[in-house]
Amino acid sequence: MAEYGALVMPPSIPELSRKAAIVGVGETDYHDDYRAQRKPPPGYEPPTTEALASLAFERALADSGLKRGEIDGLTGSFTYGGPPPAELAALLGVKPRYNIANGNIMAGPLPVVCAAIAEGKADIVAMVYAVNSRSVGRVFGGATHLGGAEGYGTPPSYYYYHPWGWSSQAAHWAMIFAHYQMKYGLREEDLGAVAQQVRVHASRNPNAVMQTPFTIEEYMSSRYIVRPLHLLDICLVNDGAVCLIVRRADMARDMVKTPVDVAGWGEARIKHSKFDVMVRQQLRPQLEEAGGQAFAMAGLGQADIGHFEGYDAGSMHLINQIEGYGFAKPGEGVAFCQAGEMDLTGRLPTNTEGGNLSCSYMHGWSQVAETVRQLRHEAGSRQVAGVRNAMTSLAQTDQAHPLVFARGD
Amino acid sequence: MAEKRPPRTLGPGHDQFWEWCGKGELRLQKCTGCGALIWPAAAACERCGDGEMDWQAMTGRGKLVSWCSFHQDYYGGMLPLPYDCILVELVEGPLFLSNPSGFGCEDIEPGMAVAVRFIDCEDDGGAYRLPVFARV
Repeated sequence: MAEYGALVMPPSIPELSRKAAIVGVGETDYHDDYRAQRKPPPGYEPPTTEALASLAFERALADSGLKRGEIDGLTGSFTYGGPPPAELAALLGVKPRYNIANGNIMAGPLPVVCAAIAEGKADIVAMVYAVNSRSVGRVFGGATHLGGAEGYGTPPSYYYYHPWGWSSQAAHWAMIFAHYQMKYGLREEDLGAVAQQVRVHASRNPNAVMQTPFTIEEYMSSRYIVRPLHLLDICLVNDGAVCLIVRRADMARDMVKTPVDVAGWGEARIKHSKFDVMVRQQLRPQLEEAGGQAFAMAGLGQADIGHFEGYDAGSMHLINQIEGYGFAKPGEGVAFCQAGEMDLTGRLPTNTEGGNLSCSYMHGWSQVAETVRQLRHEAGSRQVAGVRNAMTSLAQTDQAHPLVFARGD
Repeated sequence: MAEKRPPRTLGPGHDQFWEWCGKGELRLQKCTGCGALIWPAAAACERCGDGEMDWQAMTGRGKLVSWCSFHQDYYGGMLPLPYDCILVELVEGPLFLSNPSGFGCEDIEPGMAVAVRFIDCEDDGGAYRLPVFARV
């Protein structure tokens, strides 16, 4: 098993902006795989990480129109383990001169590849991500999360508070929303608009795991996970893979499909006083800092962004990002959603494929795939009209990693 | 009768925190360099990186900043559902995560005043006293 741990983000500098473009994207069958796992047909075997990775790669390769032999770079990113670099290359039938284990969750792996291309390490890199959270029975809370050597790198807020029964990512979002309610006077049902909006988007995506729209009454009657949050406020757990093919931008201009330039990125982490920064400030200092880095690198601002993909591990966290990056004022993010501003015709169409809440939980990778489709103008019935620039955000309980993309035509 | 609870984090620093709780005192590490109060215990100050820490006694009083209530069972039935957690701003400044004692999430008002008390608990590390917060 290769070590898919921490990676070092390259600097957010204009010299690295638009040096690489995404020219191919492939995803697995989230909807069908999820259904099959919930109601397995006789003899059903869940797909392996390797099988998921291969399928996403083949689809991305076909999408790009490139030949297998042209791929001279390969990176593998696996949240719960996967083949080491040489095995991955053999599995996919490629002979890369650049081949690394590349972290796991978005957004770090993409800037790493852009920097490698800018340094001449490769011209065309296939980035493969796969996760089999559901088939390995991954549990997001309780004694799954440990400190010390066993839980190396796990934030203390995932395990330290066990004696008080405080656990799970859901509890982080619940604590943030309960404080937000007190501060801004929101009702529980107000937050329902966020999950509802994301589901409306997912209803236009045949590959989304969940596609049936729901009413606020149905939202309120869905069971609590960690009150005040309901089941529909918490993201899916499913298996899948995403492959992105990234090419040197100056070589990507004559391709059949419009290339999508990686224009900017940023990164900021909570260094101390996590509860205060997370609950009372909704990670605003980190979102502002990282967002500022990404915008400055791209030479763009909030007003230029026509499509946003946020990390909706919980509905409330999507609001943290909408506010923290400056798309809505503090305390106004939920009202922004209720007013339809996150819909296709709103000011900031958000998570148009259905996000982590309704489409797929690929730890930020499927959001990048959707961004590519939107900027190519091939998102069909959920296309944001005329969009040219987009922002994708990976944000966890203690860090923010935004990416800014631009149509490369 | 001690309540069975999910495991504490033990080890250098953490052990001292629980020893003080055992004596009925809520104490947090204070950085001798920058004066920051640190919780959970850390080997070095998370604000300035200095390694020198004292254990500072808290008054145990604070006000309620947030709450949540667990309906999902994350601990294999050890804690009867639903149960509540609260986030308390100690008068000294740090936010402290705990459980309400003698009140529940239905009774919560923003900024309500609370004070620490200690209840008898046990885990695989043995018997200990857990800080929880009651209304004042």
